[in-house]
Amino acid sequence: MLSSDGGISTSGAGRRRSWSQLRISGTGLPELFEEAGYALAAADTEALLVDWLNELIARSDLTKRVYTDLVVDALQERSLRAHIRGVSPPVLKTAVKAATFHGLELHEHDDGFTATVVLDV
Amino acid sequence: METLPEVPQQLEPLIRQIGPALYELGQGFREDMRVPARIVADSELLHQMVQDRSVPQLVNVTTLPGIQGFAIGMPDMHEGYGFPVGGVAGTALPDGVISPGGIGFDINCGVRLLATGLRHEDVKEVLPEVAHDLARSIPTGFGRHGRLSLAPEQMDRVLTEGVPYLVDVLGLGTPEDVDYLEARGCLDGADTAKVSVRAQERGHDQLGTLGGGNHFLEVQRVERVLDSEAASALGLFEGQLTVLIHTGSRGLGHQVCTDAVRTMDRALVREGIRLVDRQLAYAPLSSAEGQDYFAAMCAAANFAWANRQVLTHRVREVFRRWFGDRSAAWPRIVYDVAHNIAKLEPHGGQRLCVHRKGATRAFGPGHPELPAAYHQVGQPVFIPGSMGTASFVLVGKEAAEAISLSSACHGAGRRLSRAASKRQVVGSELRAALNRQGIAVECPSNAELAEEAPLAYKDVDRVVDVVEAAGIARKVARLVPLAVLKG
Repeated sequence: MLSSDGGISTSGAGRRRSWSQLRISGTGLPELFEEAGYALAAADTEALLVDWLNELIARSDLTKRVYTDLVVDALQERSLRAHIRGVSPPVLKTAVKAATFHGLELHEHDDGFTATVVLDV
Repeated sequence: METLPEVPQQLEPLIRQIGPALYELGQGFREDMRVPARIVADSELLHQMVQDRSVPQLVNVTTLPGIQGFAIGMPDMHEGYGFPVGGVAGTALPDGVISPGGIGFDINCGVRLLATGLRHEDVKEVLPEVAHDLARSIPTGFGRHGRLSLAPEQMDRVLTEGVPYLVDVLGLGTPEDVDYLEARGCLDGADTAKVSVRAQERGHDQLGTLGGGNHFLEVQRVERVLDSEAASALGLFEGQLTVLIHTGSRGLGHQVCTDAVRTMDRALVREGIRLVDRQLAYAPLSSAEGQDYFAAMCAAANFAWANRQVLTHRVREVFRRWFGDRSAAWPRIVYDVAHNIAKLEPHGGQRLCVHRKGATRAFGPGHPELPAAYHQVGQPVFIPGSMGTASFVLVGKEAAEAISLSSACHGAGRRLSRAASKRQVVGSELRAALNRQGIAVECPSNAELAEEAPLAYKDVDRVVDVVEAAGIARKVARLVPLAVLKG
């Protein structure tokens, strides 16, 4: 594994649901607020996944929030529409700089996607 | 459609020694290599390197269009994103490529050494309290913002003018400070119009913050002078109190890199060029994408130098509170080196875009970019170890130009991933062990402390010995930690 590693791996039933699970942190925090809508377009599906995570990372860095409620409304091969809600935890611990293409694995199957992404932390 | 093949994992037997502490993987190893891959190492460090994918990554670097001479790995080389950390490559202008992965996400992450006239013996009783004051004065970790929040026009000037703006206009330092910074704390060519709004937003309140990860501020003692002539030129003496600052361009630089990788990846896909590692995305420096990234990278580099300058100012404020206004207490800048940057430099009669990722310059004596006081000895090179281990000051040698494009390593280099380190180290126990060694630790998180444990890093003494044996730089002083501040 990478020396500066921070990897996430997820899979889920249904194309949109699995992409909704690709979030920076888990659930269980109180008071969801702020809804932001996104429309992304990328060169291909791999780039779209990296771009989607980088959107969440940059947004999290800017707002100091953790996005726990991700809804992917539409997902095509090279585009995505989604909206997100988050929480402001009392302490933010690990700083995530970016999502990378390094070791990126993305498999589409009948039940949705399985993805592994390495984050630069 | 260009496709780069995978590199076999069993590389060690194929790498031959070609000089003192210098190894080579020949150009014939893989058809797409444009130049050989060279590694500064000894057999033990080489063996450690082949445990991860850093050597295959270095081979990938040799395929960059326009690369000259060789791709070179430093003795602290380890796996990175696209390029290995500890990788150096020069591409010929005007059409050689620039690759954001060859610079890294934390643009102009670097190290600055401050030296006081204080002796550790004279102030050691109050040092834990000084360390605590530093921790209160300097924001660390994720989500912490600095006391200096920039208005848009101020951000614009920091990005284009770097440290001279902070010194001349905001009074955060002295004119002499500028003389002791690489590139005098400002790269020409910065263009804020090429720095995205999002990148500027991510940076606007982060000036004067240390950040997390392996970034740190360390109060140190000069344990041993190893070259008295060079130490004298650098103003270093045994028993002296020093401060080492390690941080970079924070969220601004990260976003500049993310933006550029995205843009260049799209252009490569559009042109039907497929890389074995998309994190190695590149563009010819003469192209619009290359020029835009270079202008944004220069701006992020200026932001990083400014960040270390604000931190220097905070250190000086703390030292003034504890030790008064006497000149001996003034933390003077010894030097400031970038270790994640691309520079346009002449080498071997050509003008190159030299990528240094996890590597510093190591100019030899007489180089025109050196401060006048260091002309006779060469450029200071700082090689931090890890918490609880030594750091080194070296000076570059003229021979480094031919060996490594005037480059040296940037640290001990990771041996274990952060996750592996956390599995092997209990943070609270490490904190107690460091305290027993007399090292004050200011870090709110035991988990993050464990990630940066000494056992996660290579042996810094071995790494420095290799740098010296290769002829890149010579040892000047060994420093040991007294207090560590980290996010």
